[in-house]
Amino acid sequence: MATDDPTSRNWLELPREIATTILLKLGAIEILTTAQMVCTSWRSICKDPAMWQSIDMRNTGDFLEMDLDLELMCRHAIDRSHGGCVDINIEYFGTDELLKYTTDRCNHIRRLRLVWCNNISDEGLSQAATKLPLLEVLELSYCSFSKESLETVGQCCPLLKSFKLNSRGYKCPHIECDEEAQAIAKNMHGLRHLQLFGNKITNEGLKAVLDSCPHLEYLDLRQCFNVNLGCDLGKRCTEQIKDLRRPYDPTDDYEFDATINDDDSFDDDYPSGFSDIALSDYDNYYEFSDYDDFTIYGFDYD
Amino acid sequence: MASSRKITLRSSDGESFEVEEAVAVESQTIKHMIEDDCADNAIPLPNVTSKILAKVIEYCKKHVDASKAEDRVNDEDLKAWDAAFIKVDQVDQATLFDLILAANYLNIKSLLDLTCQTVADMIKGNLFPVRNEWLNFTFSIANRELVLVCLTEWVAHRRLFCS
Repeated sequence: MATDDPTSRNWLELPREIATTILLKLGAIEILTTAQMVCTSWRSICKDPAMWQSIDMRNTGDFLEMDLDLELMCRHAIDRSHGGCVDINIEYFGTDELLKYTTDRCNHIRRLRLVWCNNISDEGLSQAATKLPLLEVLELSYCSFSKESLETVGQCCPLLKSFKLNSRGYKCPHIECDEEAQAIAKNMHGLRHLQLFGNKITNEGLKAVLDSCPHLEYLDLRQCFNVNLGCDLGKRCTEQIKDLRRPYDPTDDYEFDATINDDDSFDDDYPSGFSDIALSDYDNYYEFSDYDDFTIYGFDYD
Repeated sequence: MASSRKITLRSSDGESFEVEEAVAVESQTIKHMIEDDCADNAIPLPNVTSKILAKVIEYCKKHVDASKAEDRVNDEDLKAWDAAFIKVDQVDQATLFDLILAANYLNIKSLLDLTCQTVADMIKGNLFPVRNEWLNFTFSIANRELVLVCLTEWVAHRRLFCS
């Protein structure tokens, strides 16, 4: 009961369901490092499987500051869910083993988000896909999965309605690639929502997607610089898609960094077969105060 | 049909507030009382003081007005109003606590959501008032600021997340 004392309330006397509501608004890391340390009743709430139906391992990716074993924390979160996790977000960490650990224990996952998961392999993703028959929402942003693994996902997840496959956009060097679009077109017919930010898709790939995904309502083609919508295809997009983002549309509501890191030292006719994955990893130029030369290409940070 | 009937709410400390029915029924609890015909006289709210009830009414009135055609406010502006409503210099820690309990008792989902999110943000920002029973030290919180020495200790225990 509220008293009229202006300064003090015992927050630990909040009813359990309210404390749960508050704690559910925290990410998994905050729950595991902060909230569950507060008192025994909060710790008990944090062990309730109901808290772990959605596991959001969001973080800043700044490992030098964090010094936390995210992999271990994620496993604890999975354990606490008692198999009831339906929604999991993994960013800036993650291994094939973790993915397997997750899919072995949780059979009802409907939403999976992998962002900057450089240590998860095509094999790991494909294996996991076979255990995700109920998957409806998938995001694979700033990872580098092959078209084969995307095909496997499409085949194993017939209920997939939303797919995000975002990457760094750039115009230089000029690379065209419809492999991912074709994998989507062949295997993900139920899509309503597709985000392909920074993709190398061309008009041909786009046409394949439009032909094969009749339920598509939202399509994000921002920074897909090989797509040209100033023609019949553009008209078709406008007619078929309720919410369309065009290649040069504004990016202020895009959740990631939309900076285009064009490498001007490459010519347009650089020989094909150059891996665009290798290029996109070199965005994080660290400042070496000992060096005058900042253009250290080919430097392996791992 | 649109009713402009007035409903009287009485706080725990005996103060009466007359509000439009549309505003009163932002509270599911009050809505059910009205539907069950318990609202002929004033509706007593023994769990809510006048100070808190005034703020709750202010919130509900704004949200009802925001959805009316003539005063229509867009989502962004309403969010900005909410943020200003709950800001730390408007709502001290004790008031926030009381608002949460009131929003829960009165079953006003959006207000409960707003206040709980505010507390969650405080926890994220390490500004949450805590009494840690295990570690046997207490933080006394004024104006939502943690005493710095305790914060250092607390942060050092972040690693103890084992189950």
